[in-house]
Amino acid sequence: MTLSLILQALQAGITNGFIYALVGMGLAVIFRGSRVINVMHGEFSVVGAMTTVLVLTAAKYPYWFAIIAGLLTGPAIGALIELTLVRPMIRQQATEDQFVLLTIGLERAIAASVLFFIGRDGHLLPAFGGDHVFIVFDVVIREHSLWLIAIAIIVVIALREFFRRTTLGLALTAASIDADGAATTGINVARMRTLTFVLGGLLGAIAGILITPLIAVDYTTGLPITLKGIAAAVLGGFTNPLGAVVGGLTLGIIESLVIVGVSSGYKDVLTFSILIAIMIFMPHGILGRGGRGGG
Amino acid sequence: MSGDILKLDGVGHRFGGFTVLRSVTLSVPERGIIGLIGPNGSGKTTLFNIISGYLPLQTGTIEFRGLPLTTQSVPDRNRSGMVRTFQTPKIFERMSVLENIMVGACKITRTGMIQDLLSLPHARGEMRQIRSLAERVAGEFGLAGDLPASTLPAGQRRILEIARALAGQPKLLMLDEPSAGLNREEMQQLIAAIRRINEAGLAVLLVSHDMELMAVASAVHVLNFGEIIAKGNMAAIQQNANVREVYLGV
Amino acid sequence: MMRPRFALVLLGFVLWAALPHLLTRHMTDLLVFTAIYTVAGLGVGLLLGQCGIVNLGQAAFYGIGAYSCAYLTVELGYPNVTGFAVGAAVSVLIALVVGWPVLRLTGYFLALATLALSIIASSIFYEWDWLTGGELGIGGIPKLDFFGFKLDTPGRFYYLAWGVAFLSMLLVSNLVSSRTGLMLRGMRDSSEATASLGVDLQWLRTRVFMLSALLGSIAGSLFAHYVSFTSVQSFTVDKSIGFLLIPVLGGVRSLWGVVLGAMFVTILPEMLSQFGDIHQILFGIALVAVVVLLPDGLMGLLRQAAGKLGWSRVSA
Repeated sequence: MTLSLILQALQAGITNGFIYALVGMGLAVIFRGSRVINVMHGEFSVVGAMTTVLVLTAAKYPYWFAIIAGLLTGPAIGALIELTLVRPMIRQQATEDQFVLLTIGLERAIAASVLFFIGRDGHLLPAFGGDHVFIVFDVVIREHSLWLIAIAIIVVIALREFFRRTTLGLALTAASIDADGAATTGINVARMRTLTFVLGGLLGAIAGILITPLIAVDYTTGLPITLKGIAAAVLGGFTNPLGAVVGGLTLGIIESLVIVGVSSGYKDVLTFSILIAIMIFMPHGILGRGGRGGG
Repeated sequence: MSGDILKLDGVGHRFGGFTVLRSVTLSVPERGIIGLIGPNGSGKTTLFNIISGYLPLQTGTIEFRGLPLTTQSVPDRNRSGMVRTFQTPKIFERMSVLENIMVGACKITRTGMIQDLLSLPHARGEMRQIRSLAERVAGEFGLAGDLPASTLPAGQRRILEIARALAGQPKLLMLDEPSAGLNREEMQQLIAAIRRINEAGLAVLLVSHDMELMAVASAVHVLNFGEIIAKGNMAAIQQNANVREVYLGV
Repeated sequence: MMRPRFALVLLGFVLWAALPHLLTRHMTDLLVFTAIYTVAGLGVGLLLGQCGIVNLGQAAFYGIGAYSCAYLTVELGYPNVTGFAVGAAVSVLIALVVGWPVLRLTGYFLALATLALSIIASSIFYEWDWLTGGELGIGGIPKLDFFGFKLDTPGRFYYLAWGVAFLSMLLVSNLVSSRTGLMLRGMRDSSEATASLGVDLQWLRTRVFMLSALLGSIAGSLFAHYVSFTSVQSFTVDKSIGFLLIPVLGGVRSLWGVVLGAMFVTILPEMLSQFGDIHQILFGIALVAVVVLLPDGLMGLLRQAAGKLGWSRVSA
């Protein structure tokens, strides 16, 4: 294993890691706001990417317009799910298991819809910056990867500032930490919960549109995306959206080093063994309790 | 061997940097009723959780029936002969009163899961044994076995929890705030039940901040800010200047 | 009171025995799958209904049961029964070793851990192609036979599959009404109180997990001998999700709910497939509808209906 091979793997790991981070952040935002582990989260990414593909190729609109259209699907689906399904179930005091089952059902239904309306084929989006590559120390870096990393970092910072500085972000945090207390200060807790699904859906769609120039997306892509995002979120402590960034990057880098060093077939074995071990031995994630403070 | 069934020596506990228990030394004699009293936040429940195994022992020693308690799990401690109740009774809501008590009796039998799966005669025999034991205990406490447990009023829930604890035939019964939420009549029933249990040979450790209930105790320890500040019988305790200061502010 | 009930059971039995002769080969084939899925679903249902554990890993044990039959009979030429036995033993052992640490987790995290197990298992099935044949799979698994009576048609296999399913239901029903069942129900209502009464929850959960794995493995072995072919596609996370849906859809409060749930996942997609590709969407929507509207599953719905008709009890 040469140095440039390791660097190449690190580059791929960081790129994937930011995708896992975005998905994990979305899962964590929803979990913190509603105590729902959203198994259909990867479908936000798939639908977002597929919509962009359709608007771009079938309707021939410009790329930026297609991206905006794709991004909007996430918040729309998120809001719809919260308002029509999650809210009535919370009113009936549904258990954790029932939410797992609900989101599994939604995952099935949405994946099947993608199959029905779009078909079995995988689809790619044009890379940002075309096929231009940089070569640094024998390491080939696609320009798209740099865009992906830059956009992900901007999203992370924006989310952090949103939670820390804006009235809405603070209200969201308050509602998730102490719903009753927040309600007495006039925060509409139910609306805040809808908002977490909107935000989660947006993060999912961003991840989907950023990954699709690198990996062809089809109707089966949603569940694996969710699983990686869950792993990232668990590593980060799950209640802390910014922890998911650390979790996602750790996961992405470990995964690509395993691919180079061991075999690509065992990457899921290792990733998910680590996930189980972290849940058992480090229930607050790799950052520990201290990591919960941020965001 | 007569003497003490439970002995605590210098038990201390800290949560983070905050000392909850400084150094508690007390003992429960065989067949005795010992009260542990103290205002809210004095560390009663922490001490109770340490003895029953819900919290780890940090400093000091605990001896139960002559053997040290260190890292034994909650079920292991129960099997060695101690049983506890909870501040808010944790009864099995979706089961009948009798079934609740039957769960308490499960540990006295020995059938394994394979015998249960095959419903072997031995397993069925033990199940009958559990049922008749539970029926007897329900009778002793005047509980109607076939009622759904969720329909019981607060006082009966307390009694059910105690009955369920006793079905496992323990040597030491530990009651955590058993009088909370009871009306006067239920309180009298509770006191009568504790006396009867004790006469049947059980030691009782009673944790409460309720002076009236403490009348059943042969000796009372007063806990304040993680330390025993007084002990003796109830009459002496009520005269004790320290205790008056803690409770009455004089 | 005994007589009409006995007559009803007898009638049910006759109907059950006659079904393969009345139905098309295709329908009988679906009913064989219903039986196989009932066995696997019983394990998942026991964990969900009695312990409140969401098990998203049953396909791992289903796969172990299937591959052990495939490998031992096809590659090594051992008799059929060894496949069942080795699969069962390996599954129970893995459930013990893995379950002991993992069952410390609760709620969501336990569900995620079992999901992770399923992913790990399917990756291993894929990678260990010396054992599993990888993507190509293993074909030519011999048909089972009983004293020269070859179970080579759906109509014949039907009796074995349902025999195993009914036997499993009987055993699970014994367990639920036994001392173990009492402790399980106690644990479901309040694990803290159950522990305080001397019940070792960790060991109890692990044993039920081992039983669930055993049922999953037996179902997988039946599957392998029935279709004569195993490949990695049959043991993915999707299959684990399908097994979980069985008790959820049917309802965990009665064993017959599992049968109903198994029918739902085997027969309903077939019925919906006449609508073309849209059937998968309909299936997903049906699933969401059951979760949201019927917390006690289809069996709960049947019970309500029976209650309205004035029947005091549906046999449970």
